[in-house]
Amino acid sequence: MTKGYLALILHAHLPYVRHPEYAYSLEEKWFFEAITECYIPLLSAFQELEKDGIAFRLTFSLSPTLLAMMEDPFLQDRYGDYLSKQQELAHREEERTGGDPVFFPLARMYRKNLEHVSSFYNEKYGRQLVRPFKELQQGGYLELITSSATHGFLPLLSVQQEAVYAQLAAGIMHFEQVFGTPPKGIWLPECGYDPQFEEIIGELGLHYFIAATHGVLYASPRPKYGVYSPILTPSGTAAFGRDPETSHQVWSAKEGYPGDYNYREFYRDIGFDLDLDYVGKYLHPPGLRSNTGFKYYRITGPDNHKEPYNPQWAANKTWEHAANFIFNREKQVEYYGGLMDRPPIVVAPYDTELFGHWWFEGPLWLKNLCRQISGNQHLEMITPGQYLERGYPLQLSTPNASSWGDKGYYEVWLNGENDWIYRHLHQGARRMIALASDFPNAEGTLRDALTQAARELLLAESSDWPFIMTAGTMDMYARARQTSHMARFLKLERQIRNNSIDTSWLRKLENADNLFPQLDYRLFQPMSETLPVEREKLPAI
Amino acid sequence: MHDDIPSWEDLDGGEILPLSYGEDQLVLLTRDPYWLFAYWEFNEETKKDVEKTTRKPWGELEFALRVHRFNKGNKKESYYDIKIDPSALNWYIQVGVPDKQYKVDLGYYPPGKGFVPVLTSNLASTPRDNLSDIIDDKWRLPDWQARRLFWRIARSSLSSMEMMLHREKHYREVKRKGGLPVD
Repeated sequence: MTKGYLALILHAHLPYVRHPEYAYSLEEKWFFEAITECYIPLLSAFQELEKDGIAFRLTFSLSPTLLAMMEDPFLQDRYGDYLSKQQELAHREEERTGGDPVFFPLARMYRKNLEHVSSFYNEKYGRQLVRPFKELQQGGYLELITSSATHGFLPLLSVQQEAVYAQLAAGIMHFEQVFGTPPKGIWLPECGYDPQFEEIIGELGLHYFIAATHGVLYASPRPKYGVYSPILTPSGTAAFGRDPETSHQVWSAKEGYPGDYNYREFYRDIGFDLDLDYVGKYLHPPGLRSNTGFKYYRITGPDNHKEPYNPQWAANKTWEHAANFIFNREKQVEYYGGLMDRPPIVVAPYDTELFGHWWFEGPLWLKNLCRQISGNQHLEMITPGQYLERGYPLQLSTPNASSWGDKGYYEVWLNGENDWIYRHLHQGARRMIALASDFPNAEGTLRDALTQAARELLLAESSDWPFIMTAGTMDMYARARQTSHMARFLKLERQIRNNSIDTSWLRKLENADNLFPQLDYRLFQPMSETLPVEREKLPAI
Repeated sequence: MHDDIPSWEDLDGGEILPLSYGEDQLVLLTRDPYWLFAYWEFNEETKKDVEKTTRKPWGELEFALRVHRFNKGNKKESYYDIKIDPSALNWYIQVGVPDKQYKVDLGYYPPGKGFVPVLTSNLASTPRDNLSDIIDDKWRLPDWQARRLFWRIARSSLSSMEMMLHREKHYREVKRKGGLPVD
């Protein structure tokens, strides 16, 4: 009999990065690395499990900006070129290490991995990465959900409820356009929740969202079962709280699995270790020291001394760590189960980019976890959507405002490094709402300009920009993106108001910031003016 | 890269973000259970009116934020003033009490008189930083069970940012030790 449920949730997100104006973009490389190291290895692992008849269940959140990048022909071509170059480097690495009993097999491993990625991406799916996700959803293995349009951090946009509504609705609509069905649940960016959203969440017909641990734990009235049963919020949406123990086991850099000495060392990469004469051509951009993904050492120990990587040892560790994870979950659900009238649900959300990129062995660990858990007497993998179908009565309670960022609230996105952006974002939202109110039925060029203005505002709202400003790496880029999208919005707004739309500039913007082709600017219509009946006239969500 | 691809600058169309928008605006944001953030700007006319009324230049006026506290049932509880520099455009406000609502007025003290508000903010709430005291009788665990449940949940909690910070620390250490440069 099932003693408890495990809901693993992978949230995949990258900001919209697409720079045809540059021959090389470091930021596009985030996306390319994620495809090679995370998305395809994970998808392949899922397909192998399916082939082996393992009935696993995972929830996979794909942010709308990530979906848009996966579908973009320019980025598909660029990734194709990037991948060819990686494969060329793999061949040269085999030549360079030829005969070396330690390093040659590692070079061969990378060559084979890349061959697999290429055949998966180019041949099997014709560069359409959303297709394998769709297949796995249809097979009942993945529950696909999404996030707000550009991953805007909603609590700090909520001075204008319309801005929150537009972020969520545009994200949900894009998801539906890609997958044909609306998502059952939503990943609130950074688990950023504020009780002010309740009305909006209710209106969007979502079944559930994921909250930070203390989002549910500090809900009011006090949740009887803590985070081990979802609560029902005033809008009739279920809130699932993150389990802190599972986060700790995987995330903790000290005690977490990814820090095991047998696992691959992220910080030893031939992009830094080898002569520029040799490796420079394969760097991105050429000649500038950066990671290539070819890493030949294991973590080894706490200091700088590194021993060569041994894939077999690492693979054995993933099996051990998967078993350890399951053992701990069994103990955990036994403990909580004794206090509850229903099986506890352990909700374990992770950033997808951890698996494969930072933690090279992450996809294999996950595969082993699914394998070991199938047939387990006490634990059942479940998605939040499936859990809700089981019909356990839920306690009515309002979650606490919170996020999963450092310190648990909003400071990561609101501090001395980034607080200046909100003056502009709120002003932008005010103006966009006024535009949507003043031009309720625009057609032709005017409509295009209004739509592009909405797009620019959404792009300016990405949580990634203030996050990167806080982290202090690549912050020049984040500042430039934030201010550019805001400036483009302001200029468009002025042209619309003055009836002086510069069509040729507008077309350039549409080509550059080209995500969400079916975006409807009327999503920004004032809440006070829009009756629920009128909302139904908007594209179905 | 190609002639037909507009540059980043072309796309911005020469537009530069203004420092402010010349509107009367005072916006209050929540940061965490103990802190709020306010930013503001004044319309030039508003400034002139104030200078006319007080017969003092803007820069010589004594400005303050009046922070009003309400409970969650909208009942007024208290207020206090924070003196601020006339040139400030924003302020972090340590309100110190979770699970309350706040509203802020920005105004000045005319010589020898009481506070005159000029701008009023939206309402902002501070989140709870602990378990709710409100317990629904239908959803009540016996105390000893509740203690077992909440004790274990509280024991371990790590955020993704902490992991990032740890990684960055690791990166800086490696650099300091003359190890590898990393991206």
